[in-house]
Amino acid sequence: METRELFWEIGPTAYVVFYAVAYSVIAFFLWSVLRHILKYRRGASHPLPVDVWAGIGRMIREVLSQRPAFRRDRFAGHGHTQIFYGFVLLFIGTSIITLEYEITEPLFGFTFWQGGFYLVFSLVMDIAGVALIAGLIFMIWRRAGFRLAKLEYRRSYRGEAELRPPARGWRREDWLFVGVLLLITVTGFLQEAVRLSMDQPPWQAWSPVGLGLARVLEGLGMDAEGAAAVRSANWWFHGMLSLAFIAAIPWYKAKHMIAALGSLVIRDPKVLSRLPRVDEEAGHVGVASIEQFSWKDALNFDACIRCGKCHEACPATTVGAPLSPRDLILDLREHNDAAQGRAPEGVSLIGDIIDPETLWACTSCGACSEVCPVGIEHPAIILQMRRHLVEQGEMDPQLQSTLDTVANLGNSFGENPRKRGAWTKDLEFPVKDIREEPADVLWFVGDYASFDPRNQKVNQTVARLLRSAGIDFALLYEGERTAGNDIRRVGEEGLFESLVEHNLDQMNGAKKFSWIITTDPHSYNTIKNEYPEFGEVAPIRHYSAVLAELFETGKLKPIKPLGKRVTFHDPCYLGRLNGEYEASRAVLRAIGCELVEMPRNRDNSFCCGAGGGRIWMPDPPGLERPSENRMHEAAALDDIDYFVTCCPKDLTMFEDARKTSGHEKDFVVTDLAELVAEAIELESIPLKDVPSLVERITDAVANQIAAVEAAPAAPAVATEVEATTARPPTPPEPAAEAAWSPGPVTAAELPPYEVPAKEGPRIMVAVKHVAVLGDEYAFTEDGRDVQEDYLDHALNEWDDAALEEALLTVERAGAGEVVAVTVGPEGAEATLRKVLAKGAHRAVRVWNDSLVGADPVTVARALAGVAVQEQPDLIFTGVQSSDHAHGATGTVLARILRLPYAAVVIYVEWDGASKLVVTRELEGGVRHRFELPSPAVLTVQTGINTPRYATMRMIKQAKDKPLVVVDGSSLAGTPAGYVVRRMYTPPKSQAEMLEGSAEEVAAAIAKIIREKR
Amino acid sequence: MAGILAIAEHIRGELRDITGELIGAAVSVKDQLGGPLMVAVIGDDPGAFVAKIDLEGVDEILTVSVDSSDFDATVYEEVTCRLGTLRQPRVILVGHTINGMAFAPAVAARLGGGLATDVFALDVDNGEIVATRGAYGGKVNLELGFPGKGVVTLMLRGATFKAPEAAGSATVTPVEVDLAGLGGVSTHLDYTDAPTADVDITKAEFILAIGRGIQNEENVPRFAALAEQLGATLGCSRPIADAGWLPKAHQVGQSGTVATACKLYLALGISGAVQHLFGMKQADTIIAINTDSDAPIFNVATYGACTDVLEFADALEKQFN
Repeated sequence: METRELFWEIGPTAYVVFYAVAYSVIAFFLWSVLRHILKYRRGASHPLPVDVWAGIGRMIREVLSQRPAFRRDRFAGHGHTQIFYGFVLLFIGTSIITLEYEITEPLFGFTFWQGGFYLVFSLVMDIAGVALIAGLIFMIWRRAGFRLAKLEYRRSYRGEAELRPPARGWRREDWLFVGVLLLITVTGFLQEAVRLSMDQPPWQAWSPVGLGLARVLEGLGMDAEGAAAVRSANWWFHGMLSLAFIAAIPWYKAKHMIAALGSLVIRDPKVLSRLPRVDEEAGHVGVASIEQFSWKDALNFDACIRCGKCHEACPATTVGAPLSPRDLILDLREHNDAAQGRAPEGVSLIGDIIDPETLWACTSCGACSEVCPVGIEHPAIILQMRRHLVEQGEMDPQLQSTLDTVANLGNSFGENPRKRGAWTKDLEFPVKDIREEPADVLWFVGDYASFDPRNQKVNQTVARLLRSAGIDFALLYEGERTAGNDIRRVGEEGLFESLVEHNLDQMNGAKKFSWIITTDPHSYNTIKNEYPEFGEVAPIRHYSAVLAELFETGKLKPIKPLGKRVTFHDPCYLGRLNGEYEASRAVLRAIGCELVEMPRNRDNSFCCGAGGGRIWMPDPPGLERPSENRMHEAAALDDIDYFVTCCPKDLTMFEDARKTSGHEKDFVVTDLAELVAEAIELESIPLKDVPSLVERITDAVANQIAAVEAAPAAPAVATEVEATTARPPTPPEPAAEAAWSPGPVTAAELPPYEVPAKEGPRIMVAVKHVAVLGDEYAFTEDGRDVQEDYLDHALNEWDDAALEEALLTVERAGAGEVVAVTVGPEGAEATLRKVLAKGAHRAVRVWNDSLVGADPVTVARALAGVAVQEQPDLIFTGVQSSDHAHGATGTVLARILRLPYAAVVIYVEWDGASKLVVTRELEGGVRHRFELPSPAVLTVQTGINTPRYATMRMIKQAKDKPLVVVDGSSLAGTPAGYVVRRMYTPPKSQAEMLEGSAEEVAAAIAKIIREKR
Repeated sequence: MAGILAIAEHIRGELRDITGELIGAAVSVKDQLGGPLMVAVIGDDPGAFVAKIDLEGVDEILTVSVDSSDFDATVYEEVTCRLGTLRQPRVILVGHTINGMAFAPAVAARLGGGLATDVFALDVDNGEIVATRGAYGGKVNLELGFPGKGVVTLMLRGATFKAPEAAGSATVTPVEVDLAGLGGVSTHLDYTDAPTADVDITKAEFILAIGRGIQNEENVPRFAALAEQLGATLGCSRPIADAGWLPKAHQVGQSGTVATACKLYLALGISGAVQHLFGMKQADTIIAINTDSDAPIFNVATYGACTDVLEFADALEKQFN
């Protein structure tokens, strides 16, 4: 019967030794696996559900197809497939032998490894061995011969010339892994060859490789004695090497054979498109230490095989920004291997292991997790650490001020929310307000499309297209706030949630609509994937899909096929994250464009560099921008006319990059809708929908008349006010006419409130809830102020600096408290809560309705009334407020309190008792330094410090801090520093276009410069 | 109870321009409000400034000798209040400057009269002073009155009022002010000069800013020279700084610096991306040169022209030669 002897000429002692080693190896292997499992179990719970069953199915499909290995590197795919199948078959073969020898034969006396099965088995094993060897040799050749950048561990993107010590270890592992596997396989064949050479079984042709090798060895002069010697020695060598291989699996690169399977099972198909919420139970926000990562993250770290696919795909790595997703994961793995999932001592995860700049370099484009063959979720891991940084306020100042702006105004542009719908004004038709009347479709415009002038033009085109296709749409106008997709990806979860709540409230409170359209892939993603977790939301579609459908159903018809050569950029958040690749391409085909694909297309699209909040952070100087890299890629295509996008951020980024990368003459960057408009000759559609020319002219004339009528309104108000100046709202003091000076202004007498006993220095900070006025506004009836409705509010930035200085002073002293005081209505508590969230200990708000529009003297009297009760050791306030910019309140306050003072302070040192050293900055930058006794009042200039950031979550939590409201009615009717006679709009500047030659224009402008300079 | 008292400002031996501007503003309302116009100068050698203060329309120069020439808010406050009590002017004028801000509001608080700051226009209505200032970031103007106030302290915006050109014939009156009771509230330590190397966009009043329209890096020095010739600070848009053609300190905009003090902004070859507009649209006068007539910069510009930036730069240079 065809079979073979397993333990050839192995004596009883050797037999025992072999088994002792084998069982030890198995025990060690199991212990190693258990140690890893314990390490994972120490990880935090994972914040998102894991669908294991679906994951298993997906994992099996991916592993069997080897698709992950093939993606974007078919050479690696072929090599890995051969190694994988060769290895798996040999592993199965060994298992079959073990099954018979160790289980079925001793227990049941059943044998099956013989006869025809044995012959086929022998053949399959030979083929598997050849495949494995071929795959290994190919991979060794690839690694050694091609010096692929993605396999290089030197961190050139950080300017490092030398390998870091762990990376030397990784390189050794890479070679050891393939080397040992190759050696095991070769010695396996050698064993077969010497066995066949000695035994010469009649069925030896079923082991063709072994037979061939036997013949070669015999041809080289191997006799029976030699064969026996090799057979005996090689049996041990091959066996022990194989056992060593098994023992080492959990300890080096080979561990991916197990970890990757687990990692693929638990892979989140929506990673990045749907991020986890902050775990309120965890006691910390985000991840600041290795043990705070979830078990899933820890398994991810171990799964990495260093294939470098993410390293190659990452836009940050590509342009030399300080981030490589691969190195990030490997650093985390090294760190967790040392820490074993426990909190390490003396090492800080962010700072010592991972640089903050690394985390901020990520554009949240998802290219890394998309291509990762083992299911590592780098963006989610980065996000967790970003959340911690945001919570600590450790971020770029520009990003911080953008977050502030979004919190205050609901948009990142610092624009008045009322301007959100301003782009509709240039349309020939009115656009519905969904808050007023129902429509089929709600158009969620998004920030970039709403406020960026270039994108506003695209909006107008899209609006005309939708109208000509008969789609009934409406906007939320100023009811809309930024969707928050990128706010969440920056790591400001609290702000994201408040934006979601606002937008959902607006949609729920609106009139009826059945679906949502947007041109913005970022808004699309979060509304589609993340909003449903917070409340019911209508289905959302991207306009590219809608346009494709309109062409398909014939509602839009191309009139003029464009015949242009175009290339198309897949927006990350539309394509990679939401799988929509075809609609835009279908539209481009429908309008007669020849589509030329860039090498990096569809799921391999290359990010413009704006995502993940990067658009709100300065680019590192001297680096190419990802958008410029993309422009070079497009320019390398042969002779294209248009670079087409369907994302507002893309449009701005690429238009800019086309200029800076020197491809201005090569092609034009355009939006999909603009090409569609050209193809359907939208310009020439006078359609029934567009108001007739007569109507438009009438409207224009009416507008003109309205404007003319509005203009003299100011004098009209003036006359009215002049009449009232005789009896101003503030009655003059009876003695005022007689007295040149009525004497010093005094502190307001405010009702006493409970002031806690002093524990250390007490610093009072006067803060203002300043008003921000947009471009559109209306005056109150008396013409002395603008209507409150038109004002947005924020914490005055000078007071923010004053607060920071106060907090720093208390922190340095190690004791004491900061008391924030404001004079303002209930709405001003938003600012007080923010101030409390930043660290102020208590807050006091003085108010009475008579204080609307109070002048600096009145405000200072109110503040002084509080100071009298608080008896602070120092008083800080901003130099001025951003709305009225009096620059007087602090100094008046000091004089009322008869305290020493300094205005416009840029540096202050306090000895904690009675002496201040103060530096003031004078015009032209000259600095004046002097000493001042304390207590004192200091008005603080911006730039003295970088104010800390309060996340929306911290602001919500600050609700528990004490806030006292003090009745300011004693201030009503008391004399102020001035009386407002009237408020009016100064003559508006409108670009006056100068015509003529360059010389004539220069002459005219020279005159203007001489006048104005 | 009559007349106007202006407080002269000087630093390190130099009379500041604001002094003449205060005089100019005072002269413009003196006839309607009634004189005399008195100018007080405080310092260890106040007489040294008399010649420059004696401008047309000044009736009397009050010289007050104090121990130090260095500005001390407490001393200025005390002296102003004493002079006020002595002469009882209807209006006290102080510059809306860093030093003005440090003492004038305190004067108003002590006298209990009217106070308005950052005033950029003065008028007299029915014999009463009327001041105009901005509000809400300068978007609107606010006209202020001071009914029933015996004395009004007004802080005037700099570089707004015109100083009289001709010399005057004021009488000079030394005034003794006893400051013994004041005690040493603050102690002068030192002055440090501003670092000279860097530009400061936030403080620049005249900015010549360049954008991508200048085409290539070799053209940057031409524009730098032009800016110097015009006495302008050289600014730029983001692409220029990003490309490393100019240091980041020159960048105007959301990610650069906001030109908060800018009065005149000359934008050359800047299309006006919203991030850039954020940093400069508040400038009083904006002149934009760009080949693209649709460029958003023209939405915020006061004057615009569609012409080649390099040709324009050459032509402008000739205008100032």
